[in-house]
Amino acid sequence: MVAKSTLMKWHYITGLIMIVVVGIHIAYRWPSYDASISWPAVQSQISMAWYDIVLLIIVYAASYHAMNGLRTIMLELFHGGKAFTTFVDVLVIALGLLVVVVGTYTIISLIPL
Amino acid sequence: MQKTRRVSPRWGLWLRGLDEWLVIFQKVSGLALALYLIGHVLAVSTALGFGHNLTQQQWNAIIFGVLEKPHIGVVSVGALLEYLIGVLLVIHGANGFRLILMQWFGIGLPKPSRHTFPRATPSPNATAQRVYKYSVAIITIIFIILATYDVFGALLGW
Amino acid sequence: MASASSSEASVETIKIKLPEIKLEKKEVIFKIRRYDPEKDSFYWKEYKLTITNRTTILDALLRIKETQDPTLAVRYSCRMGICGSCGMVINGTPRLACETKPYDLGTSIITVEPLSNVPPVKDVVTDFDKFFSNHKSVSPWLIRKDEKEQFEDLKEYYPQTEEELDNYLQFSYCIKCGLCYSACPLVFLNKEYLGPQALAQAYRWSADSRDQGAELRLKLVDTDNGVWSCNYSGTCSKVCPKDVDPALAINMVKKMLLTGRKR
Repeated sequence: MVAKSTLMKWHYITGLIMIVVVGIHIAYRWPSYDASISWPAVQSQISMAWYDIVLLIIVYAASYHAMNGLRTIMLELFHGGKAFTTFVDVLVIALGLLVVVVGTYTIISLIPL
Repeated sequence: MQKTRRVSPRWGLWLRGLDEWLVIFQKVSGLALALYLIGHVLAVSTALGFGHNLTQQQWNAIIFGVLEKPHIGVVSVGALLEYLIGVLLVIHGANGFRLILMQWFGIGLPKPSRHTFPRATPSPNATAQRVYKYSVAIITIIFIILATYDVFGALLGW
Repeated sequence: MASASSSEASVETIKIKLPEIKLEKKEVIFKIRRYDPEKDSFYWKEYKLTITNRTTILDALLRIKETQDPTLAVRYSCRMGICGSCGMVINGTPRLACETKPYDLGTSIITVEPLSNVPPVKDVVTDFDKFFSNHKSVSPWLIRKDEKEQFEDLKEYYPQTEEELDNYLQFSYCIKCGLCYSACPLVFLNKEYLGPQALAQAYRWSADSRDQGAELRLKLVDTDNGVWSCNYSGTCSKVCPKDVDPALAINMVKKMLLTGRKR
């Protein structure tokens, strides 16, 4: 179907994107982690539309990167022919869709805030 | 025919190589981070009421009522886990960045050349790789210092 | 210089002082991990031997075979590091037995084991069928678009500049000894991985300017069990006796695949 090099190219692109966006996400935990996860702090973070966009980008980039990573690890360690490969593909796509759907729904509902 | 049975590897060869540890680390931390991603997105979305029930009670009930509740002494287990995940993330990311630079852009890889004897330096031992690995180590140490202040600073009295 | 008086040319004897090579002797113990195919198990056997600073592991094994235990099975051929037959794990690292001297290793106990990641046959001899079939699967030969060329009488050889040669020359030194395959942790983890030797040869042929089959070959290695199973642990390059640097070759293939540029 898709050449492994295409999958890996996107793996690297999403990796590079994540260095930036996850960096921003972690930077907002500074200077105190406990303070940054209290409700007033969280409210002020999610009220910024650009921060919500950053969170949305994280959901997509991280889901692709993590799911392709999981698929690579599973196919390296275990072998079972076409049936097993299909099983891994389905599992990985299902988990990825779960994260993407839940994340997108939550963030899109937040943005008009 | 003993075609499927293989001689087992000599572990010592791999245990003394940093590159080999980084390969295993990249995969193991990747697995841990993938599981964390799923848990984190689901937990925080639930705490935010999936965007519809944005109240302090909902947030506090999930985050402080369930996730950050278990404590070992004064240290919150949730905060400690997030701290460790952060460290894994930084090493995974820094080493991953090194792999992307090498494999996609060829930065740090020598040009194939005609050999001269005595023995040529294999590319994993070249200077560029040492620079890469020291950079990963320095970035990790800086992050650990900042993260320890960030998460445990109050407890440690910094 | 011939003297003018003699009718025949006289030979002048020149005395050359040869460098003095001091011969040192030492008694070492060889611990050999032997495979018994009848019992399908490994066992250790110890042999004491007096060696010199010029003895190689292969010399020692053959002397053990001659003087102590004729049942010891050893595979070797050229004795000079070009055939790639005598690969073994010596003191924990895959090495060529004919190129390794116990004196240089420095220990008084030398462990000799069969190569890892390959099936054993007897004693320190291993089965290389999968290794060779992996190599064959990447079409390691010159592919030309016109298949009839090989039957024609060509007027000239395929031209190649020095730069074009340098692009792949170091990878052509591969002697197929299997040390890299044995040292690779991903060969251990991924039972279907092609291995550093086959993938380095895929690059060697694809980067050769005379070759026109790069697209076909790259498609063969662009899979989960091809180049993408390599994670650059670099162990292959560290043990290669010919400095082929397979890790570099595999990264060059990945770069070709990601950038879409042939060279």
